[in-house]
Amino acid sequence: MKENVTSATAFLLLLFLHTTLLNGQSAPGKPKIEKCRSPEKETFTCWWKPGSDGGIPTNYTLFYRKEGESLTHECPDYKTGGPNSCYFNKKHTSIWMVYIIWVNATNQMGRSMSEPRYVDVTYIVEPDPPLNLTLEVKQPEDGKPYLWLKWSPPVLVDVRSGWLTLQYELRLKPEKAAEWETHFAGQQTQFKIFSLYLGQKYLVEVRCKPDHGSWSQWSPESSILIPSDIKMKDTTVWIFVAVLSSVVCLIIVWTMALKGYSMITCLLPPVPGPKIKGFDTHLLEKGKSEELLSALGCQGFPPTSDCEDFLVEFLEVDDSEDQQLMPTHEKDHPIQSMKPTHLDPDSDFGRGSCDSPSLLSEKCEEPRVPPPTFTIPEVSEKPDDPGTKITLNWDPKSINLEGKITYFNAIGSKSSTWPIPQQSSNHTLRSSYHNIADICKVALGTVNVPAVSLKKEENHALNYSATIDAVGEETTEKQKELEHFHSKANQEKTWLLPNEKMPFMSPRPMDYVEIHKVNKDGALSLLPKQKESNANTERASTPDTSKEYAKVSRVIDNNILVLMQDPRAQATVTFEEPAKETPQPLQRNQAEKNLSYCTSPPGDCRLQTGGLDYLDPTCFMHSFN
Amino acid sequence: SLKGSLLLLLLMSSLLLSRSVESLPICPSGAVNCQVSLSDLFDRAVMLSHYIHSLSSEMFNEFDERYAQGRGFITKAINSCHTSSLSTPEDKEQAQQIHHEDLLNLVLGVLRSWNEPLYHLVTEVRSMQEAPDTILLKAMEIEEQNKRLLEGMEKIVGQVHPGDRENEVYSVWSGLPSLQMADEDTRLFAFYNLLHCLRRDSHKIDNYLKLLKCR
Repeated sequence: MKENVTSATAFLLLLFLHTTLLNGQSAPGKPKIEKCRSPEKETFTCWWKPGSDGGIPTNYTLFYRKEGESLTHECPDYKTGGPNSCYFNKKHTSIWMVYIIWVNATNQMGRSMSEPRYVDVTYIVEPDPPLNLTLEVKQPEDGKPYLWLKWSPPVLVDVRSGWLTLQYELRLKPEKAAEWETHFAGQQTQFKIFSLYLGQKYLVEVRCKPDHGSWSQWSPESSILIPSDIKMKDTTVWIFVAVLSSVVCLIIVWTMALKGYSMITCLLPPVPGPKIKGFDTHLLEKGKSEELLSALGCQGFPPTSDCEDFLVEFLEVDDSEDQQLMPTHEKDHPIQSMKPTHLDPDSDFGRGSCDSPSLLSEKCEEPRVPPPTFTIPEVSEKPDDPGTKITLNWDPKSINLEGKITYFNAIGSKSSTWPIPQQSSNHTLRSSYHNIADICKVALGTVNVPAVSLKKEENHALNYSATIDAVGEETTEKQKELEHFHSKANQEKTWLLPNEKMPFMSPRPMDYVEIHKVNKDGALSLLPKQKESNANTERASTPDTSKEYAKVSRVIDNNILVLMQDPRAQATVTFEEPAKETPQPLQRNQAEKNLSYCTSPPGDCRLQTGGLDYLDPTCFMHSFN
Repeated sequence: SLKGSLLLLLLMSSLLLSRSVESLPICPSGAVNCQVSLSDLFDRAVMLSHYIHSLSSEMFNEFDERYAQGRGFITKAINSCHTSSLSTPEDKEQAQQIHHEDLLNLVLGVLRSWNEPLYHLVTEVRSMQEAPDTILLKAMEIEEQNKRLLEGMEKIVGQVHPGDRENEVYSVWSGLPSLQMADEDTRLFAFYNLLHCLRRDSHKIDNYLKLLKCR
């Protein structure tokens, strides 16, 4: 019995519970306050979302507490805001104060409470949309037509007193368009739209926002149809103007294209290429003496009077027997095989030019630099016969390589820019010779070749002279001298060259080149030093004194170089020369054939000076003056 | 990007208030007899107050996002502003009923009350371990503009109510120790509280001035 009762009770209980559960009744779920909003910062409303209601009617109550107060209040108005809302009217609303709000859900089975929400009305302001949006197409007579929009603020917002400050935004689009065109209107309640498509129906909306709050919803759409017969006078005029100006521009462009080049040439004359005042290394290397000489054909040669100072060169002739002469006499060979010979450091060869502010002085410091290897510029064919190895331009003249002063005349130059080697008895005027040779070569060559080539190319000329050496030499001695000279010349390089290293400066002993005669072509015929021994003895007297340097006083007749004895030079030496030279006429004559004549001094002077290393300027003065 | 938003704010604020501000006469600094009209003074003041509040609002939001999430600071930041001692109107009716002179003085009081806290805010934000640049920049800007607004207001008061320089009422701020606490939680809450109060007070000032301007 008891067992039956117990089991029955249990069964019934279970049944009851079961039925209860099947009914779904339970305590309400937790509600949640969704949103609180104030339309004008004077009232606000809060809405909540109920949780599960447990199947049975649930009662929701909202409670709140204000900041600074301890009392709990219940919602004053559940109706105005709609279901599940609480409306706080002006009386119950305080700004700048935090409200703590929560919702209670109660039903038969239980109750639940939402999370408290902290609300400050200041920051939940969201106004209603603006009202009375009106559209109008205005067409002033003296202007462009436009769409005029007008609206008014929402009713509740108090803008007049400044409690709320509203800003507006509008958007419009043609009916069929996909995207809105948005405009910000600031605090004004009207707006003008100018960019319109005619004949279209436009839709417009407007919304507002408080100074520190959220945007309202968009107002209801307003539409307007833009009439298509609006006159857009300005447009046609502007189109016409645009077309006209584009046509004009096209014409101008076309003209420019056709005649552009000539115009540009007129406006911007072409920049002249660089004038080559000296030898072009490149040309020299190639051995094209014509080009080289043409390149040298600087208009400035002979240098003008103001250049005279620069180009006063003093040749220090130094004779040193010790120098090794090149065995070969090939044109190229001596040049390339030239080795730097020992230079007498005491020799003040070229010192004068170093000191003088001449271009040539630039190269004073490098007396020992071996000449650059280069082929002798093959101005003309290389004579195969060493005897007739008057190179290139030298062909008409044979250069007497017997290193005395080479008298040369700068082509067309009147100034004595050529450093004229002074004759020191024992100085081998190698380099000077070479330089002279160069000059001669230059002279022989094209007319405008500046004898005073200030470039390295002059060295090439020296090489050239080396060839001449070879050419003029009939005797080994000569050749040797020439070689020596040549080597010296190579070393000195361009003492003649204004801007080249001054061979003069090199202290090496130089050989004198005797000027045989001056050819009518303006070639300086140089004689190699005939009697070296004599010369040496002669020169020995003045071994280390600064030798006189021939100074080119002027150039006459474009091909005659008037040499002047260096004032520093000893006058005695000058006079010695003639005496010395006289015994050598025979030799000279012999060599004459093979010599190239660089210059053509007046015949009488020529003969008189004969193998003089230098020319007596007085002689020339007479002849030329 | 915060600088950009700052710039944007500036732009916006100037745009917003550009309507009411037509052409402000420029008084060269140092000019003694420069007379700016009252409406112009108000326009300028409103511009400043609007700007200050925008900055404060942004600053608070940033701080809240960055440091105060999940800490429930808001629950504690109730009734904790130092300026609550000043009896300010709490809704529109009260604000409209108050006399404009009193309102002006009130504004001045609030502004003065914030001089010191702003200064300390800047110093303390600078020394925060993460040193958020944006917040610091805004704090500095607010401090600067607050001073200017105060000057402007004093000028306005001088024009509206000349010679009435009585008691300079303002609230004393005593929150500095909490700003400097070693405990990070307390420190952060102190910052939060300060920024929260700043946001509110700057809005109050802005609102009052706009009311006054339209009167």
